[in-house]
Amino acid sequence: MTRSRPRTFLGTALTALVLVCPLGAQARDPNTIVIVTGQQATVPVPTLMEGADNNLANLEVADQLFLRLAGFGPSLTTVGERDFVPRLARSWSRQDSLTLVFDLDPRARWHDGVPVTGADVVFTFERARNPAIAPRLADLLRHISSVTAEGERRVVVRFSQPYAEQFYDVVYHVAPLPSHLLMGLTQDELKRSEFVRNPVGNGPYRWVRSVPGQFIELAANKRFFLGRPAVARVFVRIAADPDARINFLLSGEADALENIVPPIANLARIEAARNLRLVPVPSPTVGYLLFNQRAPGDPERPHPILADRSVRRAITLSLDRQALVQSVFGTYAQVPFGPAAPILWIRHNAPAPLGPDPAAAGRLLSAAGWVDRDGDGVLDRDGRPLLLRLNFPNTSAVRGQMALQVQEQLRRVGIAIELQRLEVPVWLERRSGGHFDIDFSSASQDPSPSGLTQSWSCSGGDNVAHYCNARVDTLMERAIRGTGNPADSWHEVLRQIEDDAPATFLYAPSYVHAIDRRFGHVTIRPESSWLELRQWTVERARERPRSGY
Amino acid sequence: MKRWLLRRLAQAGITLAIAMVLLFVLMRLAPGDPLSRLGENRPLSPAETEALRVRYGLDQPLLAQFGVFLRGAARGDLGTSIEYGRPVSALVRERLPATILLGGAVLLLNFTIGIWLGVRQAVRRDSVLDRWLTTVSLAGYAMPSFWLGLVLAWLVGVKWRLLPAAGMQDPLLGPDADWGARGADVLRHLVLPALTLSIVSIAATMRYQRTAMLEALALPYVTTARAKGVRESLVRWRHAWRNALFPVLTLFGLWLPVLVTGSVFVESVFAWPGLGSLAAGAVGYRDYPLLMGTSLLISALVVAASLLTDLAYAFLDPRVRLS
Repeated sequence: MTRSRPRTFLGTALTALVLVCPLGAQARDPNTIVIVTGQQATVPVPTLMEGADNNLANLEVADQLFLRLAGFGPSLTTVGERDFVPRLARSWSRQDSLTLVFDLDPRARWHDGVPVTGADVVFTFERARNPAIAPRLADLLRHISSVTAEGERRVVVRFSQPYAEQFYDVVYHVAPLPSHLLMGLTQDELKRSEFVRNPVGNGPYRWVRSVPGQFIELAANKRFFLGRPAVARVFVRIAADPDARINFLLSGEADALENIVPPIANLARIEAARNLRLVPVPSPTVGYLLFNQRAPGDPERPHPILADRSVRRAITLSLDRQALVQSVFGTYAQVPFGPAAPILWIRHNAPAPLGPDPAAAGRLLSAAGWVDRDGDGVLDRDGRPLLLRLNFPNTSAVRGQMALQVQEQLRRVGIAIELQRLEVPVWLERRSGGHFDIDFSSASQDPSPSGLTQSWSCSGGDNVAHYCNARVDTLMERAIRGTGNPADSWHEVLRQIEDDAPATFLYAPSYVHAIDRRFGHVTIRPESSWLELRQWTVERARERPRSGY
Repeated sequence: MKRWLLRRLAQAGITLAIAMVLLFVLMRLAPGDPLSRLGENRPLSPAETEALRVRYGLDQPLLAQFGVFLRGAARGDLGTSIEYGRPVSALVRERLPATILLGGAVLLLNFTIGIWLGVRQAVRRDSVLDRWLTTVSLAGYAMPSFWLGLVLAWLVGVKWRLLPAAGMQDPLLGPDADWGARGADVLRHLVLPALTLSIVSIAATMRYQRTAMLEALALPYVTTARAKGVRESLVRWRHAWRNALFPVLTLFGLWLPVLVTGSVFVESVFAWPGLGSLAAGAVGYRDYPLLMGTSLLISALVVAASLLTDLAYAFLDPRVRLS
């Protein structure tokens, strides 16, 4: 009798677990979507998304709540105004090279029922252009000299100079806020206000609630003037760990997962699930090996090895970049030409990147005096071995995996690489302080190519490797001003950067999303994944009788 | 007793103060700028960086910064997180319930099942059950909790779909659901992370309890009790077990803080919104205010656990005098 007690206890516990636990699982409404993401949106409010809050999680939720004046067309072209589509603005016109006029859609309403007016747009731009409130936005909108309202529905935007992306600057960086709710609040009052906890927008979805660290709930705006969304409820669940995100999806507790990160085995697991489909989307990311052209920690002296263009080009030619990309991303990435991320429209018709040519690399190195004189397998010159330190952050599995392969490929041509896997703050500190030989960088770019000036112009704020070519600066300025054909100017910029080899551009990935097949008309936007969610449909034939655990 | 308690509280205060000073200094000696991440997406201008330094008090001398922290902590204000841009106390308040729930569940499972199985093993020494439980407990002890978590989440959550694979509550269960339904929902989500942490900790408790119980059962007073005809269950639980409890009590004192900090991987694998991952993130980002806030809490837990253990000793063993 006594002997059987443990067995009885364990048996009862297991039976209870198996029978009772699944009973409470919620039956899922097919019109509901559960999206899994890695980060929680904490302040999805335009003009408050600054500093650490300037992240994708806030942007994607804000895009469901707040409409911009206009949206991108399929080409993602940022110059001129022809390729944009109406959103909050029903139409627009150009008065002259310095003035744009927007007419708001009279049907547009805030979620509390108040009409959206020109005063809301003026109020928002006043906030956005104030460096004390929104330094990032104020910098991006620095060429706007005034925003005024004419009547209830007309907004006039004036610029201090003509340039190609005037329209983009007005419509992309900031979405209007409700002035009737926020007028008179100081920045601190706004940050602590009820509005930040329960934002009132004008977009296809309205805010319902947030459970910190767990999820955000949105509900369809039934009176949305561009059409009521078919997906009635949206839950954005948070899981920082990539495995937990995939488990949410494969267990049926979620319907969509954004940006499935390598290893590529993750994609195979999801592809094997019959109810899911993969949707690749051009990403804003480009990964590259950035060569410091000044001595680490001493910007006055040239780098003893990497100041020489021949060495930098030799490194690029030594690497089989296609093989690197294939091994980490499978078919979901390309080798970029220059620093152009897939989201940038300028990558269309750009030249193809160079293939590997270790023999040519060897010749370049030899001509520069790098020869293996002591037979240790590492090239040397004047008694100095060709040894370089490669810094990368410990949080990036992609860069960690690639760094090892880069080390091995360069070893074969006699270049020794010492890998430095660093904590993010240390990596960033060394990067911004110029304390590196090679930095494994990954840039996340806006849809506008003008952002390239940050890293690749002589005075760029993120030009930590001190790359400087006056011709590149001139070409960029010409492209930004819109003199001539901007596409040609940008391609010339890319060509010159490739030729100067300030970096070896390694990968330009697609973000691969997984979506439950019951959703139809699925469009995922590169600039903000769920932007077109309001146009998705639910295909009744594919509804699952019950999903989840 | 009163004097002892006052002395122990004073010791606890001093320990806490030393821990805080060490943490404060060591954290600032570690390489890495806490503001660097803010400029990760868009480089900050020197003026912006300076403004942020002033905002977070990083422009002040070290001593002044520590003074500000202490004065704030005394008022319950632990500063503003650099990473989250929100008050640290609010972040801790949000995460604490999940941590207490998971940690409490693990402690409960650990010390009920662990003690019970340990005692069973001891009284059935060298039996099939003892050998079987020894093997199982060694296997459990040797199992890394993050690996076990991954396996359980995949097997039970994904493959069999018996329990939620991750999270703490089903978002589809609205805020208007009754308490019973919400409680059951949280319990279902709790099973896998609690089981993952418990399997490892139960194994340790079992081993300690078995050894202590074997020693106690061999002592003369147990033989005397049996000779006097005391019922076997009373001999085991009242006479032997009470004296075999002390090593396990010490273990309890050690486990309490470990459950807050040591569950980082399990919180991560099960997307459990607890303090462990918050503290780990704070270390990774050099978020000084958040790190100090979470460290203060964890240090206080360590000190409190030690105090509680001492009190429990005195309560259970009349030979221990709190003086």
